This record gives sequence, C-alpha cells and structure tokens, in this order.
Amino acid sequence: MRTFSSFPLLVLIAAAALVPRAATAAVDAHASALAALSDVRASIGEIVRIEDGDAVGHGAYLRAAHRALNALVGRRDDGYVAAFGDPGDGTGTLGHLDAMLDTEGTSLWTPAVDGAKANVLAAAGNLADSMHEKQMEDYQADLTHAIANLALVTGRASQTGVFGGLSGALANTSLGVPAGATVVSGCGPASGTPAYGVVAGRLAYVAVSRAAASTALPPDLSVSRIVVRGGGLVLYTSAAADAASLCRQSSRREPSRRERARDVAGQSFPALYTASQAHAGAAVYRQYCIQCHGVDLQGTAGPGVAGKEFLSSAQGNGWTLGDLRTLIFENMPFSNPGSLTPKQYAAVTAFLLASNCYPAGAAPFPTTAQASFAHVKIVTPKGARPPAKNGVCPVR
Amino acid sequence: MMRLTRGVSAVACIAIVSLITTPRLLADAPWPTADSFVNAAADASNWVLPAHDYSGNRYVAGAKIAPDNVANLKKAWSTKIDARGPLETSPIVWNGTMYVTSSHNDVYALDAASGAIKWHFHYTPHVIAFSANRGVALGDGKVYEATLDGHLIALDATTGKTVWNVVAAKDTKNTFYTMQPVPYKNMLILGASNGDWGGIGYVTAFDAATGKRVWDWNTIPGPGEPGHDSWSGDSWKRGGGAVWSGVAIDPSSDTLYVDAGNPQPDFLGTIRKGANLYTNSMIALDISGAKPKIKWYRQFIPHDTHDWDPAMPPVLFTGTVGGASRKLVAAGDKGGNFWVLDAGDGSVVYHLAVSTQKGQSTEPDRAGDVACPNTNGGVEFNGGSYLAETNTFYVPSVDQCGIWKSAGTATYINGQFYLGGSFPPQNGPSTGYINAVDVSTGKFAWRKHLEFPQIGGALSLSTGVVFTGGVNGDFSAYSAKDGSVLWHFPTGMTIQAPPASYALGGKQYVVIAAGPAGINFADPRLHQGAPTLEGTYSHPATAAITAFALP
Repeated sequence: MRTFSSFPLLVLIAAAALVPRAATAAVDAHASALAALSDVRASIGEIVRIEDGDAVGHGAYLRAAHRALNALVGRRDDGYVAAFGDPGDGTGTLGHLDAMLDTEGTSLWTPAVDGAKANVLAAAGNLADSMHEKQMEDYQADLTHAIANLALVTGRASQTGVFGGLSGALANTSLGVPAGATVVSGCGPASGTPAYGVVAGRLAYVAVSRAAASTALPPDLSVSRIVVRGGGLVLYTSAAADAASLCRQSSRREPSRRERARDVAGQSFPALYTASQAHAGAAVYRQYCIQCHGVDLQGTAGPGVAGKEFLSSAQGNGWTLGDLRTLIFENMPFSNPGSLTPKQYAAVTAFLLASNCYPAGAAPFPTTAQASFAHVKIVTPKGARPPAKNGVCPVR
Repeated sequence: MMRLTRGVSAVACIAIVSLITTPRLLADAPWPTADSFVNAAADASNWVLPAHDYSGNRYVAGAKIAPDNVANLKKAWSTKIDARGPLETSPIVWNGTMYVTSSHNDVYALDAASGAIKWHFHYTPHVIAFSANRGVALGDGKVYEATLDGHLIALDATTGKTVWNVVAAKDTKNTFYTMQPVPYKNMLILGASNGDWGGIGYVTAFDAATGKRVWDWNTIPGPGEPGHDSWSGDSWKRGGGAVWSGVAIDPSSDTLYVDAGNPQPDFLGTIRKGANLYTNSMIALDISGAKPKIKWYRQFIPHDTHDWDPAMPPVLFTGTVGGASRKLVAAGDKGGNFWVLDAGDGSVVYHLAVSTQKGQSTEPDRAGDVACPNTNGGVEFNGGSYLAETNTFYVPSVDQCGIWKSAGTATYINGQFYLGGSFPPQNGPSTGYINAVDVSTGKFAWRKHLEFPQIGGALSLSTGVVFTGGVNGDFSAYSAKDGSVLWHFPTGMTIQAPPASYALGGKQYVVIAAGPAGINFADPRLHQGAPTLEGTYSHPATAAITAFALP
C-alpha cells in the first residue's frame, strides 16, 4: 500500500494575470459560489458524522459515502444514486462550479474555481474508492483524503488563488459582490456609504453602515484592517494591499525600492535544513540528478532547478515547498521515481534549498511531509545575495 | 533475394538520371516553394520537409548508397552544437545549406558540404519539463521554429536574425512546442505539446508570413461536439491528447493525418470514464476549408491508463496487400502496436505487436502492477519507413516493462505533470528491435533484437539499405532484405533523432544528430566509457551533427 503525503497538493496562483474585465460581479456566479460552498459543507458533514459516530456495519458507511458523493456531484452525474438521499441541493458542488466556469471569459476567481473543481473531483474519487474498500482502515483513509481535498475546496478567506478556494474567492474577488449591490472603484479613500470597493477583479473592501446591517458580507471575510469613516465601517480584505499596489501602478507612480523588495521577497523564511544535510545532498544530486538537471543546476535534458530562471517559474506558477517536496520525493528521478531513500530525498531537497539561497538552520529537512510546507511559497529568499550571475548559491 | 538485387540495379540507373536532372530544376528557386514541397519525394538532392515529403515516409528514391558499397561509408564531417539536452532534430537541407536545432531551440545553418557553421541563433527558453526540439521549417527566405516557451519564431534564413517572434501556445504555463512545423500552402501546421501537463491538445495552422493563427483544431471535443460524451463529467477540460509528432498530408485531397496523444491524468482513469476521444487516435482532417473537418478517426487504445500514445508520425504509402495495391497509412504506439490502416476510411488492415505486451488490460492501482511496454517503450516518436522495393515496413521499437501505480487522486498544478500517479520505474531489461513487417501479409519478414532501445526512426533507401540509430549511439545500416548489419559507426552519444539524406556534387550524404540522453532515455549502462558496438559511449556531454558519404 502506497503512503500518501498527509496534505494533498495545492495550487497557488501567485501571479494571476490581471484580467481586464469590468469590475462587476456576475450575478449567477455569486449565488452559485454560495450554493457550491453549502453543498461542500453538506458533504463534509456526512463524512464527519460517520467518522465521529458509532455506526456499525458496512451498509452505514456505504450510505454515508454515497450521500457525501451525491452532494458533491449532483443529480446529473452518473455517480449520483438517488436512493441514498442527498444532503445537498441536488445541483451538487460540481453543478454549481460548472455553471460558473461555463460563463464567458475568465475572471480573477476562475483559477480558484478551477482548483476547487479539481479538488472536488479528487474528493469524489476518494469517496468512490471508499465504496470498494474491504478493510475499515482503508475506508477511513479514503475519507480522510476526501476531507483534506474538500478542505481545499472550502479554502481560506485570507488567501486568493487555489489556496483560497471558494471562501478566498468570495472574500477577495468580485465574486463576493451580490447581485444588485453598489460597486465602486477600490482605488482612493472609501466613502462612508455602503459599497463594495473593487480593483481589477479584487475585492479591496466592503463599506458597511453602522446603523443598519444592510450590506451582505461574504460568508468568511478575512479582515486585514478596519477603518471608521463617516457613519460606517470600512472592512479591508486580504486583497486590499494587492489592490492598493495596482492602484499605484495605474496612477503610474513607480513603487518604491522598499516596496519592490517586499514584493519579491514576499515573506521571511524559516530555516528548513542543516548545512551538513545540504552537503550530503550535493553528493546525491551528483549521483542521481546531474545528468538531466546539469552541473550548474540550469537544466540540460530536464528543467533548471535553482537560481533566477527556476525561481521565476516557481513564482509564476505559484509553487509551494509542498509542491516541490512532492515533485522530488514522488516523481524523481524521472527514470525511476521513488527509488531513493527518504533520507536521500530529504538531503537532496536540502541541497536544492541551499542552492536557491535559503538559509540553513539547526533542524534537518524532514523525511516526512509537513502540512506547513503548503504555506511556504518558493520565491527568492529575502536578503539572498547569490554570487553567481545565474542566481545559484554555492553549497559547500 | 535475386529479385531484389535486380530491382536495385534498375533503380540505381534511374537514380543517376534523377540526381542530375529533376532536383536541379526544383532547386532553381532561391527557397523551397509550394511545388518543391509537393514534389519533394522526387528530389534526392534536398530534404525540405521533416520526413522528406508530405507522406511522412523517410524514404529516398534514386539512392547511390547501396548494399554493395555502404561498407565504404565514411564520416564526411561532424559539427558540435549546443549540448544542453538531447538532439531530436530532423535536418532540413536546401541548396547546400542544412538547418538544425538543439534541444534548447538554438538554430544553426550549416554548410552541407563541410559542416561549417554559417550562422547560429541562440535562445534561452523557459523549460517546463524537458528540453527537446524536432527541427525547423524553411520557406520564403525564413526559417521557422516552435519553441519550449510556446513561441513561434521566424528567422531570416540568410542571416539567422529574428524576423518575427509570436506567442503561439494558448497557455504557456502548461504548453510548449517540440514539433517541427510543417509548411503547407502558405501556412505552418504545428501541434502543441501539453499532453501530460493538464492541457488539451490542439493542432494549429499559422500564417507563414505573419505568425497569425489561421485555424485551431482541438483534439478533445467540447460540449455539443461529436465524441464529447466519451468523457465523464468535465474531465475533458484537462483531457490531454497532445499533438507531439509529425503529420502526414495528402495534397491531392487536402487531407491532414494527425495523431493525438494519451488522455490525462495519465494513470488515473476513474475520473475520466469513457473512451476519451480523440486521445490515442489517428484523425484524418479535411483542411481544404476555413476550419478542419473530420473525415475519419481510428482510436488505437481507448481509455488509455498507461501513456501509450501513438508516438510514431503517420506514414502514407501505397503498398501491396494480398496481391492488391492499396493506399495505406501506418501508425505505431507506445503500447507496442504497429498498425496499418486503409488511408481512405481508417479501417484496420492489420496490426501486430512489435514489443513485449503484458498486463495491458489492468488499470494501474495504488498497489502497483507490472505492464509492458513501459511509457518509453513500444514504437517511439521517430517511427518507421516503407520501402516499396521490398513492400516492407521497417520500424524500430523499444522493449521494456514498468511498474505502474496510480495515486488515487490527481491535482492540477501549473507547469507540472498532471498524472494521477507517477511515471513507472523500469522493471527488468531494456532492449530494442528493428522490425521488418511484410506489408503483404502483416507478418514479420524479419526482426533483429538489439541490446539497446531503438528510437532513432528509420530511413530507407531505394537500393535496399535501412539506416537507424540506438540510444547507445551506434548508427547502423541494415540490409532491407534480411536485417544483416552492412555498416555501423559508433557516435559515442545517444541517438534519438531520425536520419536524413541529401546529395551535393553528385555525392549522396546521410546525416544523423546525436547528443546527451533525454530524460526518458537516460540508461544506467551508458556511463562514460561504456562499450558500444565498435567503440565506446564516450561523449555524454557533447552534441553533434554528423554527415557520412562514400569516398
């Protein structure tokens, strides 16, 4: 039996293209997103109930898996079995997501919805698998994977892109604006009157009246800042900083050097490996990787794995340390994936982090997957000063 | 045996005439024209299309190199080029100049007589997964190349300077180009390589003057199109079906023969129930109008879960089957099948296994099971060649098994494989075959088992010589009639490019590109200094174009 990383792969679109689209919310999309979220929660509810409950017998578990699947896929799918009942609304998460994706053009929230859909399909696969399991522990493993995948569909309000899932898209993009609501440009100071401030598809803030709860808020809103203005409150979202940066660009003011540096570095870095581990990893690299990725790590038959070119594609694609770990541990070496020992994989990962100028620390890169890796973006580390022109830091 | 020998001398006489007359007329134009392309089969001096002519058949009529003199073949020149990855280039030769590419899209114009570099275009594309390029197109004073970062570039054929450079791929995060563009009626036909990265395959015609799109044809039918119901739910949206390899064209009917690659996620079939059209299919498209129309399709492996796409470029030929002459089209897939279809309606005339086949009906699961061939097995991307003189099809193959596992889930990540598992590690030995298939019966005329995988594609000469190369770098000439080795040359590098032929000053040349091994073909036996047929695998970090001629 294959072991799985405890946290599924995530997609993070860090540099989503700016979409030149009118900053108005698609009426149906907003309603569909809320309904999709509701169906996901109904599905999760079924799984949690059977896992927490004390039901015995194969039938109860089969029924729970079917009900959870029904809520996800909806009536029009082949996998839907009406006899088991449906805790969702019948359209299913997939039905709602499809309705959103089938509309003309792409929006800033499209990648999040695309990702949510991929994760729904993955969870549906887990649930379908569970129906054929003979052993209880296999059944439970399937459900655990399903829950993990559905957690990504729900996402988190503090992030956009696929990490943010549906909650993130509702909280940070024009998807969060209900039909008929007042939409204003999110550039410049917010007025005291209730409105949604939108900049190039990003929901920068929601201005609400203190007197009346007249403004519908997205189901989860990650408020980064609250400003009291006039008779109301302006709730700035997680996307507010990004929106403000866009406003500055459009007013043709060059960002300051400090701002630029902050955008590139993005975050500060934990020490992820030890120097001696990276040294050992260099030997692993020479033996198993060098043939395709090159002496200078710039790629020969395979792609580059360190330096400017690598980091720019990692940022463009929104890769996380979790993604990188999966690629190395599960897909490499390309000609014989999974053939190294966990210790060798960890060492070569340490070597690659060091070559990309990540700082060494006291603890080695672990041989097992860590959920936190999904939150570490692969970007140029803060303060990195690679001596080489190609941006690779030497490893001793 | 006797019949062949007599046939050869008759053909050789015609050859001398054709080398002196017809090609010179064709080459009078400063650059190849629409006529040069349509009549390329008769032109032994030049090599103007990826497989010599539109049929896709790597065959030379009127050859001078023959079974009785090939033993004297000597290296004429060898020119080192950019060695950042494997060479898969199919040279284009016109009026004494040869145009080749490196894996990272460097383009070279070489003097075809001496190998001297006339100009060199350097490029540094972003590499999504692996580096490879199969060569350029030439026309109207321009050299056209499609790149690893999804661009289509036109260079001045005289100077190598950029004329235009357009972003041609629809999604450059998961799509790149390895295919050699094919010029046809002021258009460039080009397929997108995105079959394992979560895209949908398509073939595009670009305006050769400007690089603007003329039409696109998606290999995966969308809602409302016939075949769409062969995909469960919305799995079609990342369904794969890349157009990797070459195409064949029948100019008399404006028919484009194109192969679409495997479905994805490659190894996880449960989330894409159905036959998954038109993955793993050959499609005959009518390209006479504003938009391509399907004439017929033939799906070789429905609902594939092993990445067994029809990698071999289609070869159109007129062969004799059971005593009757028929227009046929050949295909080969990585599942180890060689197919001969009726070119008119796509019906299967016959197919046969050219590699060991095992465990093919089992979908990969989490526990893993052995199946053959491996993803890099069967018939590979340079395909084979039909020789009318023997009514035989020569196709190299790879014999290798793998251990297949699916992951249970598949998640799309920009710019990464979308597999639902991982590529299978090799299980057991890795060898190759040269297969000679008697077109009349669909059975082997002969087979030769070789120590290393054979992916270099075959070039057949009218005189009865077949050239091909192995991953260990041995470039060999085989007797078309019995497979005996007539000549070989150890390049010391890996051959995964197809041979080509041209003539200059009355002399016939055969040319081959060799270089470092590609990621699919890195073989643990091929360390520096490993023995090969007659030499050693001595230059793993070198890439070179080498031409051979009779003294």
